[in-house]
Amino acid sequence: MQVRNLSLNKKNSTFLKVFSWAIVLFLFVAVLNIFQSQIKNYFYIVSNPLEKNFWAAGEAVSGFTNSILRSGSLAKENESLNLQNQKLLADITFLQEKETFFASQGEAALTYENSNFSLVMAGMMGLDGADLISIDKGSEDGVKEGMSVVNQQNVLFGKVFKVYKNFSQVMLISAENSIINVKIRAQGQEGEAASEIYGVLKGAGGLEAYLDLVPIDEEIKNGDVLITSALEGSFPKNLLVGTITEIIRNDQEPHQKAKVGLLLNIASSNLFVITNYKDKTN
Amino acid sequence: MLALLQNSFFAHFNLWGAMPSLVLIFFALLVFFEKNNINFSIFFYALAAGLLLDLYSSSQLGISMILLILFGFFAKKFQQLMLESRGKYAFVQFLAIFFILFFSYNISLQIYFFIFKEGFLFLSLNSRFAGALIYNLVFSSLFFWAYTRFFSGLSDNRQLSLFKK
Repeated sequence: MQVRNLSLNKKNSTFLKVFSWAIVLFLFVAVLNIFQSQIKNYFYIVSNPLEKNFWAAGEAVSGFTNSILRSGSLAKENESLNLQNQKLLADITFLQEKETFFASQGEAALTYENSNFSLVMAGMMGLDGADLISIDKGSEDGVKEGMSVVNQQNVLFGKVFKVYKNFSQVMLISAENSIINVKIRAQGQEGEAASEIYGVLKGAGGLEAYLDLVPIDEEIKNGDVLITSALEGSFPKNLLVGTITEIIRNDQEPHQKAKVGLLLNIASSNLFVITNYKDKTN
Repeated sequence: MLALLQNSFFAHFNLWGAMPSLVLIFFALLVFFEKNNINFSIFFYALAAGLLLDLYSSSQLGISMILLILFGFFAKKFQQLMLESRGKYAFVQFLAIFFILFFSYNISLQIYFFIFKEGFLFLSLNSRFAGALIYNLVFSSLFFWAYTRFFSGLSDNRQLSLFKK
């Protein structure tokens, strides 16, 4: 009887111990969450200099190792880039001719909608496993949630997901939750105007994404360029997104899919946050 | 320091977007080499590791702490239940512990994001998850080797001494 009581007491005492620790933990987590923004921001301020150095070091080391590992494929890549360059030159010539034609007609040649945006330059400094990057600009610099983030070449990276006082987290377009409307600029024959097809770019995680909901009767090809269509109103139009690398077609489905090579590159250190897109659209 | 390295330096060495989860690997090492009867230490290791993971993620502060406390204790219990000849198979057992932690932590986090963050449920038991797991197992093997090689003198840990034999 006494042994049984002792055993029960021991069980009760263990339960009480676990229970009290659980309460302490709960209170601790609650307090942490009340001051979440301040804690994360303070941690960022303290770690920022070191993190930037690590980021730069990683960039340098990966650049060096990549150049060694990929030396075999460089010649092939160079050849492909040369071909691509020639094609781009041809496209430029075609566009210049088009521009001259419209200008002579007394119309605006092209509307550079994206040229009037206010940009805040931000440094990239961290990547988390869920395709979120950290940038060194926050609410103090005018950054708000939902703003688009691009690089110097107008390549879309994603949108601001969470803003703190001195830094922000950006959800990349490759994040699993990301869905954006895109326009596919199908490559026409030389001299032929490029047609426009619409689709949806869905993030697949791991810095990858795929194209979906392209009508099965539309003809898309490898190498076709994806740009933002601005249909959903989250991103300005005509931002570069990626190129089609592999088409997945199933005749039993009404839509076709495609693998996409995203143009975003986390090795770019400087990004730009478009701060007045929503103001312009409103 | 490991958290900083994980999110900045190793971001450039991602494999299909997966990065080595250094904090989790180090936590697994601490859990594995902790003396069986001292569970308070696991609690505090989980608090520290969880806080670091939460600071760099978009989740609420405390989620990783709670998950690591739960899975840390579970992993330790699992280790205790494993064969007694842990010295001989310490490396394999460590990989098993790390696998449990990595798998359960990531799946739970995905469920959390699905429920509380308006996300989609991607219980990604696909090739990418497998890739991330293998990538992390390679790093955890390196860490295990480094830990047993360089830090064994700092501890009178039973498992370490058995592993060295």
